Amino acid sequence: MRRFPLWLLVFVALVYVFLLTPIVVVVATSVNAGYYLAFPPSGFSLRWYAAFFNSPSFMTALVLSLEVAGVAAFFAALIGTPAAMAYVRSRGPFREPFRLLLLSPLVLPEILTAIALLFFFNLFFSGLRSLVPLVIGHTVLIVPFVFLTVTSALYNMPAQVDEAARTLGATPGRVFFRVTLPLIKSGIIAGTMLAFIISFDNVTMSLLLKAIGTSTLPIQLFDYLRLDFDPTAAAAASISVVFTLGIVVIIDRMFGLRALRF
Amino acid sequence: MSRVIIRRLTKAYDSVTAVTGVDLEVAEGEFVSILGPSGCGKTTTLRCVAGLEIPTGGRILFGDTEVTALPPERRSIGMVFQNYALFPHLTVRRNIAFGLEMRGVRGAKAARRVADVMEMVQLPGMAHRYPRQLSGGQQQRVALARALVVEPSVLLLDEPLANLDAKLRDEMRFFIRSLQKRVGITTLYVTHDQAEAMTMSDRIVVMFDGTIHQIGTPEEIYHRPADRQVAEFIGSSNLIAGRVAEVREGYVTLETAVGMIVCRAGHRPAAGEQAMALIRPEAAELSREANAGSFAGRIVACHFLGNLIDYDIVLGDDTTHRVQTLGETLYAVGDEIAVSVPEEKAWLLSK
Amino acid sequence: MAAQQVGPRNATWLLGLPGAAAVIIFVIVPYINIAVMSFRVSSPSRAYDPGFTLDNYARTLGDPLYLGVLWDTVSLAVIVAVVSLVLGFPVAFFLARTRSRWQSLLYALVLSPLLVGVVIRSFGWIVLLANNGVINQLLGMVGIGPLGLMYNRLGVTIGLVHVFLPFMILPIMNAVQSIDPRFEEAARTLGASERRAFFRVVLPLSMPGIQSGAILVFVLAASAYVVPELLGGGRVMTTPTFVMQQLLGTFLWPFGAALALVLSATTLILIWLFTLLTKPVMRGLT
Repeated sequence: MRRFPLWLLVFVALVYVFLLTPIVVVVATSVNAGYYLAFPPSGFSLRWYAAFFNSPSFMTALVLSLEVAGVAAFFAALIGTPAAMAYVRSRGPFREPFRLLLLSPLVLPEILTAIALLFFFNLFFSGLRSLVPLVIGHTVLIVPFVFLTVTSALYNMPAQVDEAARTLGATPGRVFFRVTLPLIKSGIIAGTMLAFIISFDNVTMSLLLKAIGTSTLPIQLFDYLRLDFDPTAAAAASISVVFTLGIVVIIDRMFGLRALRF
Repeated sequence: MSRVIIRRLTKAYDSVTAVTGVDLEVAEGEFVSILGPSGCGKTTTLRCVAGLEIPTGGRILFGDTEVTALPPERRSIGMVFQNYALFPHLTVRRNIAFGLEMRGVRGAKAARRVADVMEMVQLPGMAHRYPRQLSGGQQQRVALARALVVEPSVLLLDEPLANLDAKLRDEMRFFIRSLQKRVGITTLYVTHDQAEAMTMSDRIVVMFDGTIHQIGTPEEIYHRPADRQVAEFIGSSNLIAGRVAEVREGYVTLETAVGMIVCRAGHRPAAGEQAMALIRPEAAELSREANAGSFAGRIVACHFLGNLIDYDIVLGDDTTHRVQTLGETLYAVGDEIAVSVPEEKAWLLSK
Repeated sequence: MAAQQVGPRNATWLLGLPGAAAVIIFVIVPYINIAVMSFRVSSPSRAYDPGFTLDNYARTLGDPLYLGVLWDTVSLAVIVAVVSLVLGFPVAFFLARTRSRWQSLLYALVLSPLLVGVVIRSFGWIVLLANNGVINQLLGMVGIGPLGLMYNRLGVTIGLVHVFLPFMILPIMNAVQSIDPRFEEAARTLGASERRAFFRVVLPLSMPGIQSGAILVFVLAASAYVVPELLGGGRVMTTPTFVMQQLLGTFLWPFGAALALVLSATTLILIWLFTLLTKPVMRGLT
């Protein structure tokens, strides 16, 4: 048992308070009966949740967010998983450049990527009339998360089991489906869930690439907070928090949070 | 079962050549070990036989079938890996049945063969465990069972005992050897442990730097090593340099700084050539009285090994040598003694 | 011997093709496109007028207003990185070395804010920091304030530190975890006090984590848009908010492109300087 000096423990506790208070405050605001800045709270109420679920604009935004995140996460998994395999299993001079390429959306400033994509779609395609640019933007943004998580799952695979399967008569295809896939499945699922969350919470990319007249939940919130706000936004935010934390808990229970890679 | 024939095998990576011109024939049912230090190319050779590496040059045949370019799954081999490489997501039974499944053997027939092989490797009641629930020795047996259940023509083992503790390693050594004899399968065994190679093999292949230095029975390798590198890798050795004084049929007399040594020789050197006498520590005899052909020496260290006594002895030319005797400690540090080498016990190595 | 290879591996790289293609088409090509566009002639009516020019860069680098915005952004990012380091290191050290059974929960608590949307976290800070927000109301009860905690650099700094702190904690935690505690024990047996063992052994060995954490937080803070927009309330201008204003408001695309690229270039140069400066400390560690 290691003992830490008291000041360190107090300091760490204060940093945790700093990290968590804003999130707690949002949730507290959402169940406050009065208007949002009323402090101390004036009683428990779910009326802002009712307002949220009765608000067509919030509901449309929520559905759009789920759709975009779902589709983007699906494509990210579809692209990112084989990419991770290519990286882990290949040798040669293009290996590291390939990794850098796949991670570039994570390394490059998101706002710049978003602007670049905005110009790109406007110049070379018909602009932002459909959801396609948004989904593409989200997909390239979250591919690195799948790539990193699956890469580490592949590295954590016990050595040589794929070779053992080959010596036992399995073709490369059967090795993948019977040995590799079962062993990296949890990495793929965890990475895809993480990618889903990142997409679901994204603002910057969505702000620039959304089709005109549409809005995802974070953007709806963003606009709400910039203009005028009422606790409906807090309810929307809380639902989003609970949803995100729910996925985090699932990932943690199933695979452990350390399966994730940032 | 089939013979394994390796002809002029070469494997080069981008800049390194791992194996150069390896020639080897393993007879049907024979147990051959490839022995050498790490990086000598022994594992690469084995992996080429397995089909896990594609040779840069040369050919590999199983019996009369050329397999050089065949992928591993089409080679009828069984392989045991150093870390066993058991599938962590499958139970013992399904691990063992994997190869059968790949060959389309299912149902009762597969179940019977799995049960048979599990009995053979003495793994009763483990069928439904997962590999991580097994001890190292048990995992080893599962790996063997998995490799053998498909009745391959060749069994390949890549340092299978390296991860076991010493006692278990001894036990598994004899287990594997007797199992191999019972099944009668052609076996290629890679190891860096000379004791393992000695006790298990019909023949040993000694490799250094990607080439074969010697192929022979354990006795040949030990008593008549092909060169100095082999001699020094196998067991401990005393080397005394000298000049060839006289050559007779099968024997050579070497003139050295400590005296004349009569050696057995595998080749006929020219008189006057520089050469070396190899004397294994247990080959020399010690006595207090000098006799014909003995050298004078002085004991500088003495270690009690239980069954053996190990002496460090300085000879007249100030070189230190090692002699082991059976029985009790008869000499003490500082004793002046005579060292004699029976002529059939010294072996000539060319310089 | 360590080479992992199953049979002929010629086809494996094909698996990377979709990923590489997606990133090249939808990241690399668009970047090349804005790089080219930044040399175009701005036009109020369409994407750009014909011809190439250096005007956009001349305007960006020549105008004190833009340079001021750039300076504000960079200094803000540096402050955010430094504050994050001061707050984050003790937490990272604690998380790496604690034997508490709550360790994984505490780890999850650091990770979770990262996964809660940045808008929501800004929202929380608005509720806390606004003139009639929680903190000011609490201060009001004891007769202080209201203090201007938001819609200024202070608010933006607080928000950015909060948002990016986990990115400082995680790499440092990994670095400290990889330091064998026996190094400290060895230092202690050699006569170092606990304090000296920390400063002479643990701190230098965790430099790689500090370096990557600092770079990460700096880059993220310099290119953050949402937090400065929400907590700055339009009164704190950073390059990203400024670029967005130019793009969404005036449609001067080539100019916006040049501005964005100048920010990225500045960031890269500063990272390069930073790695150069920390090189002596990192010797033998990476």
